[in-house]
Amino acid sequence: MILPLLKGLILTIKRFFNPNAVVTQQYPEERPKLPSRFRGLPELQIGKDGRERCIACGLCAKVCPSKCITVEGATDKITQRRYPKVYELDAFRCIFCGFCEEACPVRAVILRDTFELSTYQNKNIFDKKQLLDLTKKRKISF
Amino acid sequence: MKTINLVVDDKTITVPEGTNIFQASLDNGIYIPGLCYHPKLSQFGGCRLCMVEVTERRTAHRFACAHPVSEGMIVKVNTPKVVRYRRSVMEYLLAHHELSCPTCDKAGECSLQDITHELMLSPSRFNAVRMNAPVVRDNPILELNRNRCVLCGRCVSACKEIEGVGAIDFQKRGIKTYVGTAFDKPLDCSFCGGCLAVCPTGSWQDRTLEFRGRPWEFKKTQTICPYCAVGCTIVLNTKSGSVRRVTSDDYIGINEGNLCIKGRFGHEFIHSAERLKTPLIKKDGAFHPSSWDDALEYISKRFQQIINEHGGKAIGGIGSEKCTNEDNYLFQKFCRSVLRTNTIDNLSNLRSPSLNSLMYESVIRGIASTSLKEIEHANTLFFFGTDMTEAHPVAGTMARKAIRMNNASLIIANIRTISFSGTAKNDIRLTYSFGSQIPFIHALIKIIIDEKLIDLKKAESSISNFHELPLAFDTFSVKEASQVTGISEEMMRTTARLLTKSGNCCIVCGRDVEEDPLSRDTIKALMNLCVLMNASSPDTGHSKASLLFSRSHNNSQGVNDMGVVPEFFPGYSTTSDVSNRENIEKQWGVKFSDDIFMRESKNIFELARNGALKGLYIMGENPLVSYPNGKEVLEAFQKTGFIVVQDVFLTETAQLADVVLPTVTFAEKEGTFTNMGMTVQRLNKIIQPSGVDAKPDWQIICEFAKKMGYSYSYASPKDILSEIESVVPIYSGINYDRLKRKEFYWASSVSGSRNKSAKYLLNIVQPESLEIKQNKDFPFVLLTGVSLNHQGTFSRYSNALVSVSPECFAEMNRKDAQKMNIHDGDAVVIESSQNKVTLKAKVTGKSPEGIVFVSEDYEWIPINLVRTGVYTPVKIYKETGQI
Repeated sequence: MILPLLKGLILTIKRFFNPNAVVTQQYPEERPKLPSRFRGLPELQIGKDGRERCIACGLCAKVCPSKCITVEGATDKITQRRYPKVYELDAFRCIFCGFCEEACPVRAVILRDTFELSTYQNKNIFDKKQLLDLTKKRKISF
Repeated sequence: MKTINLVVDDKTITVPEGTNIFQASLDNGIYIPGLCYHPKLSQFGGCRLCMVEVTERRTAHRFACAHPVSEGMIVKVNTPKVVRYRRSVMEYLLAHHELSCPTCDKAGECSLQDITHELMLSPSRFNAVRMNAPVVRDNPILELNRNRCVLCGRCVSACKEIEGVGAIDFQKRGIKTYVGTAFDKPLDCSFCGGCLAVCPTGSWQDRTLEFRGRPWEFKKTQTICPYCAVGCTIVLNTKSGSVRRVTSDDYIGINEGNLCIKGRFGHEFIHSAERLKTPLIKKDGAFHPSSWDDALEYISKRFQQIINEHGGKAIGGIGSEKCTNEDNYLFQKFCRSVLRTNTIDNLSNLRSPSLNSLMYESVIRGIASTSLKEIEHANTLFFFGTDMTEAHPVAGTMARKAIRMNNASLIIANIRTISFSGTAKNDIRLTYSFGSQIPFIHALIKIIIDEKLIDLKKAESSISNFHELPLAFDTFSVKEASQVTGISEEMMRTTARLLTKSGNCCIVCGRDVEEDPLSRDTIKALMNLCVLMNASSPDTGHSKASLLFSRSHNNSQGVNDMGVVPEFFPGYSTTSDVSNRENIEKQWGVKFSDDIFMRESKNIFELARNGALKGLYIMGENPLVSYPNGKEVLEAFQKTGFIVVQDVFLTETAQLADVVLPTVTFAEKEGTFTNMGMTVQRLNKIIQPSGVDAKPDWQIICEFAKKMGYSYSYASPKDILSEIESVVPIYSGINYDRLKRKEFYWASSVSGSRNKSAKYLLNIVQPESLEIKQNKDFPFVLLTGVSLNHQGTFSRYSNALVSVSPECFAEMNRKDAQKMNIHDGDAVVIESSQNKVTLKAKVTGKSPEGIVFVSEDYEWIPINLVRTGVYTPVKIYKETGQI
C-alpha cells in the first residue's frame, strides 16, 4: 500500500526539481507559443493596393454560425470596385470556428494569433479599421 | 380550349393544347433546367439545356422549350443520357464564364449558379478562356457585363416584346456574338429594367444597388408602387431596415413582373436626407422644429379659433392622390364631422371636375372597364388623348401583350404624335387638330351608323333613346369633321371599321381629354360610342366595348372614391341629397348643419382667393406646382391665414405653410390604393421610418381629432377599412386580410349588380370644338403632359431618376423652330401673361405647329406658374434674343 504512494512521490519530486518539465508559462511576461494552426480573432488582410482585400461578398457573414459578422458593401465610385463600407466583427459572439476564413474567396479573412480580447466594456465589436490595424501591425509584406 | 394529357416523370398532367413541354412542366411543379426560356417571352431555344427524352411514336431527344405537347406523350426529364448532355453543355457555357460570383450581385439567385450546383459539375475538361470584355457602364442605372453573358437572348426578347423598345440585340456573328446596342452606342431606352429582371446570370446589373447587399440577405416584401395609377406590385428588398432595391415577381400583381423606370429604380426617396424630420412651426417667417404634441396643440387651437370666429366653412381641406384610401377616408370624415366643412377637394377632381360623375355613371351603366386587365384581353385598343408610354408605361406593356397575344388592333388618337413602341397589324396613329375631339368622335359615330357597322335593329331595341340619334346627326357631316379635325375621311372610316370589328374593344380616355375644358362633352360622346358598340353586341355576359379612364397618381381613383370632393360622400353618393346626408350622419354619429353643403364657388382656390377661407389643411399634396394655374394657388395661399401641410418633404407648398407635419412614405405605412382600373390593392408596411419622427397620415388625423375633442378609436388601417366597408356601398365586401391574397375590383361588383336587361341611354352632345383665341402677343399654345421618368415629389428625390432625365425640355415643332431660328438645345424663354420660364428647346416633329409641349412632372421647373389654365397662350423667344 505504501509502495504506490512512494512511487508517486518519486515522480512528483523528480518533476519538482527538473527545470525542463515546467509547463506553467509566465504570462504575460512570457509570450505563449501558439500552435501554427491556432485560431485567434479573424483579421482582415490588406491587398497589393494597400487597401482591404475584402470584396464584401458577404460569404463570411453568411457562413458564420454565431452571426457575428456584419458586412455592408459599397461601390468605389472611382474604380467601380466592390468594397466593404462596414465590416464589423462582434468578438463576444465569435466562436473562432474559422469558417469565415474557409469561405472567403479572396483570403481576406485569416484567423491569426490574436487572443487577448478581454475588455472593460460590455461589448467588443471590432470595426473594419481595427481589424485592418491588426494586420498592419504585423508588417507582413505583400 | 382543348386540353392534352401527357406524362412527365411518371406524373400525369393536363395542359392546354399548344403549350410546350417546358411550360407544361413548370405549371405542374416539375423542374427542367433551362436558361433561355421565360414564360413571358417567346421561345428562343438557345441555351440547349432543357433537353428531355420524349416518347411519342418513337423515343427521341427534344428541347422542352421548343416542343409542343401531344396526347399521350411520355417525357423523362432526367435520364442518364440527358444529364450527360446537359453537363457537357454547361461545361461549354462555363468555359468562358467569368468566375466573379463573389462580386456579382446575381450570385445567390443566379440560374447558371443553380444549375451548376444541381448538376454537380466538377472542374471543366476545357481550358478556360476568359473574354475579358470591358464592363459597359454608359448610363447611371444599368451595367452590362458581357463576360457573364450566356447569350440566352432573354433580355433581347424582353426589350423587344415587353417594352417594345428593341434597344439591345445580338451584335456580330458566331463566336464573336454579344448583346449590345447598335454600333455600341450608349444605351438609350426607357430603362424599364426588364433586361435586368429576366437575365438568368449577372450580365445586367442594377447600378443603383451599389453592392449594398446580397440576394440572400434581403427580406422581400411585396407592396404597391407609389407612382402612377397602374398600381404595379413591386417587391421591396430590404436589409437592416432600409430599402436596397426593387424587384418584381412574374406571378403576382396585375403587372406580371413588368415595371417601369420609376417603379424599379425610383425608390431612393424613402431614405432621402431631405425628408422632414420633425413637425415644423413657422414663427416670424422661419420654421422651427417642435414636438408632435406642441404642433398638434397649436394647430387645433388655431383651427378652433377659426371655427369659433367664422364657422367651419372657413376651413378648406385638400386630400391627397398619393395617400391611401384609409388616410383619405379619415381626412374627409375629419373635415366634415370635426372641422364641419364641406370645402374639401383633391387635385384630381380640381383638374378634371367632370370626370368623377361621368366615370361613376359609366360604371353603373356597365360601360367602364372593371380592371386594367381588359387592356390585355382586348382585340381593339383605342388610346384617345393619352400618352401610354409616358403616363402609364406598364399599361402600355399590357397593350403590347394584347397586340402580341390577341393580334389586337391599335388606334392612337392625340393632339401630338405619340410614340408608342410596338406595332400592331392594324396600327392607326391619328393626330387630330387642337380642340376637335368631339367632332372626331361624332364622325366615328356617324360613320358607324351610316355604314351600318353595327346591328342597328338590335341597337334600336336596346337603346331607349335611339330615335334621337339620327336627328342629332342629321346636320353633321363627316366631310366637315374631316376638315375640322385634320384627319382624312378615309382614315376615319378605317378607324370606325376597326373599332366595330368583332372582339373586345378597350377605349382608354386619357388625361388630355379629361382635363380639357370640353371634357364633359367629350367623355359623353365617348360613352355614346361605347353604348352604340355595346348595344348591338351579342349578349355574351360582358360588354364588348369598355371605357377606361386614366388617372394620374397611384391613388387618384381612391381619393375620389373616398369622397374627398365637395359633391360626393364616400362612394359617389351626392352631398346635395338629403337622404345621403342623413345616412352618413347616422353612420358617423354626427349632425351636419345644412349650410355647409351650400357652395358659392366650385373651386377651392377660388374660394380662398376671394378670402372666404381662413384656414387650409393640405394632406400630401403640392398644388403650387401641380395645379394648372400656380399663380392662382399662390394668391389663394397668401389670402389664407393659416395653412397646415402634411407631407414627406418640404415642398413648395409646405414652405408657405404655417405648420408642417412629417408623414411617412409608402414603404412605411399600411393601407390600400385603388388604381385607375378600380382595383383596390393593399400595400404592406415594410420598414420603420428611420431617423425621422414621422407618423402615418391616419394616425396624425386621429391625434388631431383627439386634440379637437373627438375620439377616433382606430388602431390600424384595418379598422378604418372595415368602417369603409360598411359606410361606402361600392366598397362593400372588401376585407383587409383577404386583400393580401387577392385584389378587390369594386367596379365589377357594382356593374355586376346592374340589371342586364336595362336599356342603354345615349347622352347626345353638340359637336362643338374648342377655339383658342389667337393672340398676337402670345401666338403659341402651351400644352403640358406627363413624363416617363418623373412624377410627383418623390421622383425628384430619387437620384437614379434625376440622373437619367435631369432636364425638362420644351418640345417645339420643326417649322416653328425654323422660323425663330431655334435649334436643339438652345435656351428658350416661354412667357405667358403671368410668368416666364427658361428651358432648353427640343425640336421635334411630335408637336403640331403652334403648340409647345412641356412636361409638368419636373416639379423643380415652375411650368405651372406660367400656365393660366389648361391651355395657355404663350410666346417663345431665344434667351439671348429680344427681351
